[in-house]
Amino acid sequence: MSGTDTSRGPKSIWRQLADSKVLLLMCVPAIIFFIVFNYMPLPGAWIAFTNFNYRDGIFGSPFVGFKNFEFLIKSGQLWTLTRNTILYNLAFIVLGNILQIAIAIMLNEVRLAWFKKLSQAAMFLPFFISSVLVGVIAFNLLNYDTGALNALIKQTGGDPIKIYSSAGAWPLIIIMVHLWQSTGYGSIVYFAAIMGIDRSLYEAATVDGASAWQRIRFVTLPSLKPTFIILVLFALGGIMHGNFGLFWNLVGNNAALFQTTDIIETSVYRMVLSQNNFTTSTAVGLYQSLFGFALVMTANWIVRRINKDYALF
Amino acid sequence: MKRRNFVRVGAALLAIGISMPALTAGAFAQDAPTEITMLTMGNKPTNGRLEAMLEKLNELLVAKVNAKLDLFYIEWADWQTQYNVQLLSGDDNVDLVATATDWLYAWENAEKGAFLPLSEEMLQANAPKTWAQVQADGHWDLTKLADGKIYFAPEDNYTQYTNHGFFYRGDWAKEAGFENGEITKFEDFTKYFEWVKANKPDAYPWDVAGANEAALTGYIQGHTDFQTLQGISAGNYIPFHTTAANPYTVTSWYMEGDALVEAAKLAKQWNDIGVWREDALNYDGDTREELYAGLSGVEQHHTQTFVNDIVNNMNTKQPGSDPKFFYWGQENGNFFKDIFTHGAMAVSAYSKNPEKALQVYDLIRNDKEIYDLFNFGIKDVDYVITADGKLGYPEGYDSSTMALGTDYWWGRTDEFELPRTKQAPNRAEIIAALDARAKDYPYSTLIVNKQNIDSTLAAMAGVLSEYIPQLQYGKFEDPAAAVAEMRQKLKDVGYEDARASIQADMDAWKAARGL
Repeated sequence: MSGTDTSRGPKSIWRQLADSKVLLLMCVPAIIFFIVFNYMPLPGAWIAFTNFNYRDGIFGSPFVGFKNFEFLIKSGQLWTLTRNTILYNLAFIVLGNILQIAIAIMLNEVRLAWFKKLSQAAMFLPFFISSVLVGVIAFNLLNYDTGALNALIKQTGGDPIKIYSSAGAWPLIIIMVHLWQSTGYGSIVYFAAIMGIDRSLYEAATVDGASAWQRIRFVTLPSLKPTFIILVLFALGGIMHGNFGLFWNLVGNNAALFQTTDIIETSVYRMVLSQNNFTTSTAVGLYQSLFGFALVMTANWIVRRINKDYALF
Repeated sequence: MKRRNFVRVGAALLAIGISMPALTAGAFAQDAPTEITMLTMGNKPTNGRLEAMLEKLNELLVAKVNAKLDLFYIEWADWQTQYNVQLLSGDDNVDLVATATDWLYAWENAEKGAFLPLSEEMLQANAPKTWAQVQADGHWDLTKLADGKIYFAPEDNYTQYTNHGFFYRGDWAKEAGFENGEITKFEDFTKYFEWVKANKPDAYPWDVAGANEAALTGYIQGHTDFQTLQGISAGNYIPFHTTAANPYTVTSWYMEGDALVEAAKLAKQWNDIGVWREDALNYDGDTREELYAGLSGVEQHHTQTFVNDIVNNMNTKQPGSDPKFFYWGQENGNFFKDIFTHGAMAVSAYSKNPEKALQVYDLIRNDKEIYDLFNFGIKDVDYVITADGKLGYPEGYDSSTMALGTDYWWGRTDEFELPRTKQAPNRAEIIAALDARAKDYPYSTLIVNKQNIDSTLAAMAGVLSEYIPQLQYGKFEDPAAAVAEMRQKLKDVGYEDARASIQADMDAWKAARGL
C-alpha cells in the first residue's frame, strides 16, 4: 500500500486505517476470534500462581507464587514433556515439508489428468478422518491379541509383538500416522505455489536443454523457497503445541508409553481431567506459551538477519 | 330480532361461564412452576419411559410444591472427568447435584465451592422430613467440612454393600477342582485363571478394560490390615491408610510394607499367563457383557451389582453357570460396611432456586407416591407388584431396552424398597453374612484440611497414574524395582509432608474424641 502513497511524510494512523477500511473489515472476524479465544482468557493464566478454588474464583484464591511450577521441575516432567513435544514437532515439520514438496512436485510432473486427480484425492482423504477413528483403526491393527498385524505374524508362524507396551515403537508410529494424515493436505499449498511459478522460466530452461530433474532443481525448488520459509516459520510458532487429538487417541491412558509419547497437551489434559488439577496444568500451559513465544521471536529474528523479506514481522 | 338477542345474550353468558373457572384459577394461580434440574449419573435413557414418568411426576410436584423436575445426565464415558468439569463450569441450570464422598469427589467439590452450604434453618424449612430423619440418626456431622457447615444430604437410610470383589463362575471353578466351585483365597484365582486359559479358548480368564487397581487392592486388602482413609483422593487414587493395629497412625500401602510388591508380582504372574488382554490398558470394551456371553471368567465390581444384576443375568444368559462372588478382604475380614455418604445430594452453589430444589428433594426422598414413581416408574407399565409382594416386571419386559434409568442413588430409603423378582434369591443371606463380618468405618467424622496439601495430592496423582496401571497389569519386568522407583518419586513430590498434615488432623480428631 505504501507504494501508492505519493504524499510526503508519514500518514497519521487514522488516515492509514481509513485507507484500508475494506481490508480491515475483511480481517474483523479473525480479529474477533483472536480477541475472544486468545486475548480475553489471558488473565486466567493467573491460576498458575494460586491455590485455586471455585468459591474465591481466579483472582480471590490464595497466591502461592511459583509453587505450582516446582513439582514440574522437581519431577523432571517438564523436561520430558518439552523434549517430546519439540522432537515430535521437528519431525513433523521437517519430514512433513520434505514430503509435501516432493509430492507437490511429483503431482506437477504427472501428465495423466485422471491419475493426478485420483492420487490427489486419495492422499487428501486421510485428513478428514477423525483422530478418534484413527485411534480405533490403530488399535485394531496393532493390538496383541486380535490385531491384524499380529494375526498376520501368527499365521506365518512368527511371535506376535507387544506394540502397546513398547515405548520405543511409538515415535515411529505416531510420526507415520501424522504424515499419512497431513501430507496430502499440506502438499496443496506447495502445489498451488508451483502453479504460480512463471511458465516462461520453464520454457527458457527447456530451451537451454535442462532435463526434468534440472528444471526441478534450478527452477521449482528455488521458487518454492519463500513459501517454504513462511510455512516453517508458522510451524515453528506452534512447535510447543502438539497434535492432541492424535496423541490422545493413539496412546490414551497407557502409562507404559508416556516416556516417549507424553506431550504437553496430553499431560495437561490428564492433569485437569483425571486429576482435577487446574493449577499445575495452567502452569504447564503458561510455560508452553511463553516458551513458544520466545521461540517464534528468535526464529523470526534469525530469519530477518539472513533475509529481511522472508521475516514475518 | 328478539330471538337473535336472546342467542347473543346466551352466547355471552356461555362464554363468561366457560371462562370463569379460568379467570378464578388465574386469579389464584401461583407463579409458573419452578424448573428444577437434577444432575445425576448414567447414560440418558432414550426409550421414552423416563419422559412418560416425568410427566406424571411433574403433575404431582406442581400440585405439591409448584415445581417441575428435569434430569441432567453425566454419562458413563469418562464420567470422573465429565462430573468434575460440569461442576467446575458453574452452570446455573443445575440445582440438585448427585454426589458421593468415596467415589464422586464430594469433599473436593465442596471445598472448591461447587456446593451451597445448607443451613439448619434452610433444611428445616424446605426439607423437614429429610432434616428430621438424618438428625434423629445423628448423621449430619458426616456431611460437614472443617467450617462446620452441612454440604449435602446423605443416603443414610438405605442398606447396601458396595464392597468390591470378583464375580466368577461356580461351574468353571468346580471343573478347575475347587470344592463346591468356591474360591476362598485371592491367590487361588491363579488356578481358576489357568484352567479357563487351558479349557475355554474363546474366553479371557479376566477380560478387563482400562486403568484400575483391582488386582492390587484385592490382594492387599485380604493380606494386610490396611484400612483406607476415605475422602483424600489423589486423582483416581485414595492413597492414605491406617492399619487396624495402629488405627490413629496415618500411613499408605503405596509407600509402606511388602504387600504392594507381592500383589504386583502376582499381577505379573497373571499377565504372563495371559489372564487379561495384553493391551488391556488401551482396550475399552464392555467386559460385563463379555461375562454374560461366556467370554470372560471373571468380572470385578461390588455386592450390590452381584445381587441385583449378575445372578439374574448369568442364570438366564449362561444357565448353570452358578455365579459366585469373592470379595476383597474375605480371607481376613478386612472390609467395611458402606459409609452413609456413598450416595448423597448436594445443592449447586449456582442454583437460582436452592429452596425449591430442597423441597423437591424432600419429596423424592420421603413421599412414597413420588418415590415409587421416580424410582420404579409407572405401575403396571414399568413395574408390577407380584402376588407375593415383590417388585417385578410386566410380561415381555427387557431391562436392556426398557429400563427407566433414573439412577437414583442419592437418598433411597429401606422403608420404600421392595424385594425384587430379579434380585438374587439369596440376597438376604448374602447381606446377613456380610453384616456379621463387616467392620464399621471408624473415620466418618474425621475432616482433613486439604488446603495445604492439594498441590501435593495432585502431584502424587501424576506419579500414581503412571505406575499403578502398569503394576496392576503386570507390565514391569521387575515389579519390586518399579515399586521402589515409584516410592522414591512419591517422596520427592512431598508424600511425607502430606502424611504429616493428615496426621495432625488425625491427632486433633483423636484428642477431641478422647480416643
